[in-house]
Amino acid sequence: MRKRLGIISLFVILFIAFIAIWNYSYQTGREEAYIPIENNRPIPIIPSETGVFKRSGYALEYANMPIDKNHERSLKTYYNNRAYHGAPPSIPHEVKKDRNMGENSCLKCHENGGYAEKLKAYAPVTPHPEMVNCRQCHVPQKTNSLFIGTNFPKLTAPKAGVNNALKGSPPVIPHQIQMRENCLSCHAGPSAPKEIRVSHPERINCRQCHVINNKEIKDIGTFIRNNKYD
Amino acid sequence: MYTSVTNRRSFIKKMAIMSAMTAAATMFPGVMFASEQEQKLPKGGNLDWKKAPCRFCGVGCGVLVGIEEGKAVAVKGDPKSSVNKGLCCVKGYHSVMAMYGKDRLTKALVKKNGKYVETSMKEALDLIASKMKETIKDHGKDSVSIYGSGQWTIPDGYVASKLFKGCIGTNNVEANARLCMASAVTGFLTSFGIDEPMGCYEDIDHADVFVLWGNNMAEMHPVLFSRMLDQRLKRGVKIIDFATRTTRTSMAADKSILFLPQTDLAVANAICYEIIKNGWVNKSFVEKHCNIKKGITNMGYGLEDKYKFTDKPEEISFEQYKEFLEDYSPEKVEKISGISAKDIKYMASYYGDPNKKIMSLWCMGPNQHTRGTWINNLIYNIHLLTGKISTPGNSPFSLTGQPSACGTVREVGTLTHKLPHGVVMNKKHRELAAKIWDVPVENIDPKPTYHTVEMFRALDRGDIKFMWIQVTNPMVTMPKLKRYRDATKKEGRFIVVSDIYPTPTTDIADVILPSAMWVEREGMYGNSERRTQYFEQMVNPPGEAMSDTWQLIEVAKRMGFEKQFYYKEETHIEEIYNEYRRHHEGKKHAMAPLEVLKSQPGAQWPYVDGKSTQWRFNAKYDPACSNGEEFHFYGKKDGKAIIWQRPYEPAPEEPDTEYPYWLCTGRVIEHWHTGSMTRRIPVLHKAMPHGYVELNPNDAKRMQIKTGDNVRLTTRRGEMILPAAVNERGVPAPMQVFVPFFDENMLINDLTLDAFCPISKQPDYKKCAVKAEKA
Amino acid sequence: MPIKSYLAHPHNGQKETLIQELSALKNCEVIPAENKEVLIVVTDTDSKAEEDIIKEQLEAITSLKLLAMVSGFNTPIKN
Repeated sequence: MRKRLGIISLFVILFIAFIAIWNYSYQTGREEAYIPIENNRPIPIIPSETGVFKRSGYALEYANMPIDKNHERSLKTYYNNRAYHGAPPSIPHEVKKDRNMGENSCLKCHENGGYAEKLKAYAPVTPHPEMVNCRQCHVPQKTNSLFIGTNFPKLTAPKAGVNNALKGSPPVIPHQIQMRENCLSCHAGPSAPKEIRVSHPERINCRQCHVINNKEIKDIGTFIRNNKYD
Repeated sequence: MYTSVTNRRSFIKKMAIMSAMTAAATMFPGVMFASEQEQKLPKGGNLDWKKAPCRFCGVGCGVLVGIEEGKAVAVKGDPKSSVNKGLCCVKGYHSVMAMYGKDRLTKALVKKNGKYVETSMKEALDLIASKMKETIKDHGKDSVSIYGSGQWTIPDGYVASKLFKGCIGTNNVEANARLCMASAVTGFLTSFGIDEPMGCYEDIDHADVFVLWGNNMAEMHPVLFSRMLDQRLKRGVKIIDFATRTTRTSMAADKSILFLPQTDLAVANAICYEIIKNGWVNKSFVEKHCNIKKGITNMGYGLEDKYKFTDKPEEISFEQYKEFLEDYSPEKVEKISGISAKDIKYMASYYGDPNKKIMSLWCMGPNQHTRGTWINNLIYNIHLLTGKISTPGNSPFSLTGQPSACGTVREVGTLTHKLPHGVVMNKKHRELAAKIWDVPVENIDPKPTYHTVEMFRALDRGDIKFMWIQVTNPMVTMPKLKRYRDATKKEGRFIVVSDIYPTPTTDIADVILPSAMWVEREGMYGNSERRTQYFEQMVNPPGEAMSDTWQLIEVAKRMGFEKQFYYKEETHIEEIYNEYRRHHEGKKHAMAPLEVLKSQPGAQWPYVDGKSTQWRFNAKYDPACSNGEEFHFYGKKDGKAIIWQRPYEPAPEEPDTEYPYWLCTGRVIEHWHTGSMTRRIPVLHKAMPHGYVELNPNDAKRMQIKTGDNVRLTTRRGEMILPAAVNERGVPAPMQVFVPFFDENMLINDLTLDAFCPISKQPDYKKCAVKAEKA
Repeated sequence: MPIKSYLAHPHNGQKETLIQELSALKNCEVIPAENKEVLIVVTDTDSKAEEDIIKEQLEAITSLKLLAMVSGFNTPIKN
């Protein structure tokens, strides 16, 4: 009897110990399950700087693409498709399915571009193919009528061909580049508006010659020292 | 993919045409092709295109300046120049605008009772000459000095040296290149005995791998970087960015490796260790062409006044060198450098691979370094051990930052110990200079006086009373600036500044002379690849502005040196250049005649038998090789280059608990040096309107700082407040901050340390300890 | 797929003839200098054999004094 009791109590103790240990390890396991999402990469990514080089692998292809005069976009239609310059463009064509993520619908045409027979146009290339919830920002236009008219003042969009300081000097970048760091996606290939298509896409390092001058709010003017000797 | 092959083809075809055009341009100066590139450029009615080297960095791009009704109105890349093949960077394309800032200095200004009074040029020059004579009479010849620049044209530097060293007899001649190229010079002299790169830019077209040592080329040498990117498209070359900070270059490179400041010394040794361990040494090359030496270690950092140092080289055996390297196995170096042994082995394997041609490129990273001479030596060690040197594509290449750092400072020798040919300490060199200068040989002092930092310290102490500053802005660029700014304001100091715009340096001047810049006068620059380039006067300088050369000549004449300064105003540049060429006669350094420079986009010295020399020390290309071997390092008496045993030593001021961050300073693509020119170009100012401090995003988050917030930086020298930049142009490593130095309203050099390399005397602007906090 | 560029020097006064003769060749592009007696010739062929043929054709031209190769590339067909 005593022997049996001893065995039972041994098992009880083992069981309790098991539960305690299991419980402890479960708790610690739960704690470790949190992996901090902070970026621990040794080499950080600088979006505004990497973006420029993103499609540069295709630079030679771009250089050789034929220009299809009959299906070119113009800067006017490009701006007309946006609420203001820099706003996400709306979708000017029918969308097949309303429940879809970008990677298996929109990106099929808009990742690398190409001619769409149905729309008689070249698909514009997205500068940010890594963001696949396209319709978070880009919405279709289902009607031309308005609920109520708007007094929204339209920003004057930058003009092409007037952004160089000297005859023949490289034009500056007259627009913001956030989300549009990749120059080639809008400025090269058959879908690029004809006014802003680059003649030399093989020169990858765009910002070697083209710098950002987009202080739209107020002109900061030319640098002049306070100290003048007169 | 078929399409990609045709694309590649058309690109290659373009490249083939370009190289044929460049070749034709060297054979037929002035040849014209109706190329596609030319057709695209504006042919605008009255534009008259004239060739010049670019005004800005040391790459020395060929530009064509468009002149209309006496004004420079446009710039295009010179397709005939083999340097840039028709491409410029944003600064080059807008360079002519630097001449037309609204506050251009057009009249001489003399300080009278604390106010600047407009004076005629004649009167100002009279005053300078009499002040110099008076100072020499009262305090001796070593109380007057001139501080010039790597932006001096060759004639500017030459007449300055002739006046001060030859006529007045003082070695108080220095130039701002001391702050930028001195370690490169001593690196070349200690390893090869003769200055300037053995290779040339064409190496870029042959190399398979590029290692950039602390060199943000995408911003600082963008045209050369584009040549590398072209090669990557064409041939698939590898670009490795080895740096302390993540930049645009890292983003474009195939691999980015970040090391902790100062540990490049250890990593370079670790690469040599790997090369020897894996049997990648080119034994026959090392035996035939190299000696191994060691020098003094624990040299100090020159922080104290009147610091002196002379190295004592001592020959050692290969076994001894190998034993020394035992301390630098990748596993040991991994611990101090912050980069993995794997990455060290990765770099070493490219250097060691006999089938890979490799180019190392560097500029201020290794040069502005308290062990600058050493790290230059160490990079040469890697190339010497593997025999990858002086052949097309195998090239350790030291780049320069100023248009004529090579041409004027290094070749003309506007440093205290230098003469146009050789050094003041050498009797033969003094005799040659005295003969050409037409002065008694006793005039040239055999003892060097002050290097740049010490020269300003001497001004502070009062050993120097008179200083003439030309084409440079030391009141922005001197390290530990406050001490030297205060020095210039002391009683009894007389400062003359020649410049084109008001700057913090003209603020401290007693006399301000308006200068003619770049194509407002005639001159020559010498770029990084030993190329001398000529430019004619294309437009008239504004007001009474006068070239720096002629300012010096006018003062020299007033001081009674008419005999030596016999030059006629119409032809003085030609006369000076022809006189200067006599110093460099001989196969090792001959300069091209002026007619040649006028007819083509520059020529590379040694210019022998009507030909530029592209690869020196290689008998196939360099006519000065005379030992009958494949290579001849004729800078040294025994014809052998030196592999230097140089250890890792820490920086003089490392972060501690009180000042926990590293402070690094540098440039941005838009602005060139102190911004006195580029900030007056509206396009560039708008792109980069002010200075900032870059923080690592993690550090910024911890301190709750976002872009635009004010950050207070404090060092042992002072404190200042700057706006933060987080995740903008560059990202420093954790516990490091970076500040560009172009903004004269945020003088970061008030905070930097004036420690320098004991051998080269070049200060280290890249490393000191700083405290950063939200302001 | 060899691509080669050459500088071609014509015999005195025969630049125009040379341009015509070269332009007649297949796979061969000519860019004459505007003001000097020299032309750039680029050959672009699909194989070594074609390259050899065009080289022979070039050398057979009588108005050509000297042909100097400047650069040559060979792009291997990848994939």
